[in-house]
Amino acid sequence: MQSSNRLAAGGGWTPYAYLTPALLVFLVFVFTPVVFSLTLSLYQFTGFDSNLFRKFVGAGNYRILFADKYFWVSIRNTLYFVAASISVQVAIALFLAIIIFIGRFRFATLIRMIIFFPGVLAPVAVSLAWRRMLEQDGVINRILGGIDFSWLSSVQLAIWCVIFVSIWQWVGYNLVIFYAGLQSLDIQLLEAADVDGANWGVKINRIIVPLLGPTILLNVILNLIGSFRVFDIVYVLTRGGPVHYSEVLTTLMYYYSFSSNGPNSMGVGASIAVIIFAVVLMLGFLRVRLIRRDGGAS
Amino acid sequence: MRESYGIDRRRNPGFFALSRVVVAVTLVCILGPILYIFSLSIRTERTVYQDTLLLIPKEVTHQNYPKAWNLAKDRLGVDFLEMFRNSVVVTVCSIALAIAVAVLSAFSFSHFRFKGKEALFSTIIASCVVPAQVLLIPLFFIMVRLKVLNTYLAVILPYVGFCVPIATLILRSFFEQIPYEIKEAAIIDGARNSQILLRVVLPLSASALATCIILLFLETWNEFLYAMVFLQKPVFQTIPVAIAKIAGGRFQLPLGTYGAAIMITILPVLVIFVVFQKWFVAGVTMGALKG
Repeated sequence: MQSSNRLAAGGGWTPYAYLTPALLVFLVFVFTPVVFSLTLSLYQFTGFDSNLFRKFVGAGNYRILFADKYFWVSIRNTLYFVAASISVQVAIALFLAIIIFIGRFRFATLIRMIIFFPGVLAPVAVSLAWRRMLEQDGVINRILGGIDFSWLSSVQLAIWCVIFVSIWQWVGYNLVIFYAGLQSLDIQLLEAADVDGANWGVKINRIIVPLLGPTILLNVILNLIGSFRVFDIVYVLTRGGPVHYSEVLTTLMYYYSFSSNGPNSMGVGASIAVIIFAVVLMLGFLRVRLIRRDGGAS
Repeated sequence: MRESYGIDRRRNPGFFALSRVVVAVTLVCILGPILYIFSLSIRTERTVYQDTLLLIPKEVTHQNYPKAWNLAKDRLGVDFLEMFRNSVVVTVCSIALAIAVAVLSAFSFSHFRFKGKEALFSTIIASCVVPAQVLLIPLFFIMVRLKVLNTYLAVILPYVGFCVPIATLILRSFFEQIPYEIKEAAIIDGARNSQILLRVVLPLSASALATCIILLFLETWNEFLYAMVFLQKPVFQTIPVAIAKIAGGRFQLPLGTYGAAIMITILPVLVIFVVFQKWFVAGVTMGALKG
């Protein structure tokens, strides 16, 4: 990030002129909407034809939200998502990256590309495929020995199915980042360990994993922030159902504000948006500080 | 092979074998679902429920593909080509606009010294972490006010908003790696700032631009929520929205057609991925490390 000191000095307004389009985009499509959201969450939505800011209700929307049992369910589910994606998903990716890296595979690149491939597909297409497979007469039950279970209609298991599909799709993404970290690893350290007679267990636990520390942290933070963005997979796989038991914050927001069978209360929707925003902003600060600290983590 | 260091087959036969098993199982888990959907898409109506675990069914047909193609026309009044066109228009315009804006701002950040530079940079970068969903409701009203709802602009404008920060970040760090001596030569020749950007910086940045384009492509091509809410008229629908409506609706679809519809959306991305795979990896890695 450190640039040379020989930058064109000043140039008066020129640098600002070059920045204008970006700042305009930021102002209109990020800053204004965030402020708008904050304000909107304090008003009751009274319909599309009227003035948006007619009925001030203060914390009213938040009160409605906190009284909604399914808001807490969606918080719980979002936390499940966070927990699984920063632990299981990162662990699988790390494990696979190391195995592929030290395994001397002839088609190492191809293997990585295949595992990464689901990550470039539309989550919608991935979810449609898995929805069919998880159906009562689907192929998953067939593989499990002909059991008769409707995975996505289970109050307890629906959200875990969604999380499973999410891990399936994104584990390759973490793997690619881990692999980049491994490739910048100093092999001589491992060779030095060989001289000392270290076996692979020691080399992985004592050298590779500790050296990948910053990359692990990076993946954890990426998945953490990513968990709050999940929408498509939940929407297509379960629509938040059965009832609302697999709802996450984003889908609940959609349900409250836009869904055709929802209450159409944009105010409550906006208050969910504000809550997501607050959480993610905190995490974002954390990330910026961590990246600053180890200077790009690369 | 470059990674010559690794498990030795003779010294660690057990570990060596284990690594093969692990990777084989992983590949089956990843490829299985994709191959299963492909297998579904070439099955006849009689064989969709027969030997589900067999990859190649006893009766093979390609009829599901034209059926899925026509189904889109029947159900939504839009055929796949039009959806494809919509996706291309939205993606290309968003990326082109976002890159243009980001090139200018990245150049400003990398070439000049000015007051408030790092503060402005941090402000723009901070929006990388804001989830798009948070802005959905306010942007909806903004699009209504701008009278662009149900036009391509309704999604292009928000996409540009989401893409500019990450593109600025990547391009700035790349522009800063360009040696000053190269720019200096141009400055001595009397080149203006705009000429330095167009004649010196941009020609040297082809790989950074390609990386950026791929990263933004992933963000916009697969985007679902905004496309669903802001483009409600079927004629404007992008592929993810249309496929969710065709196959994800409440009505039952013949399974073969269902599989074919999914395959039709997967195939173009597969082709692009195979051709540009290096850039995909670079894009994801850079986006993660720099973002």
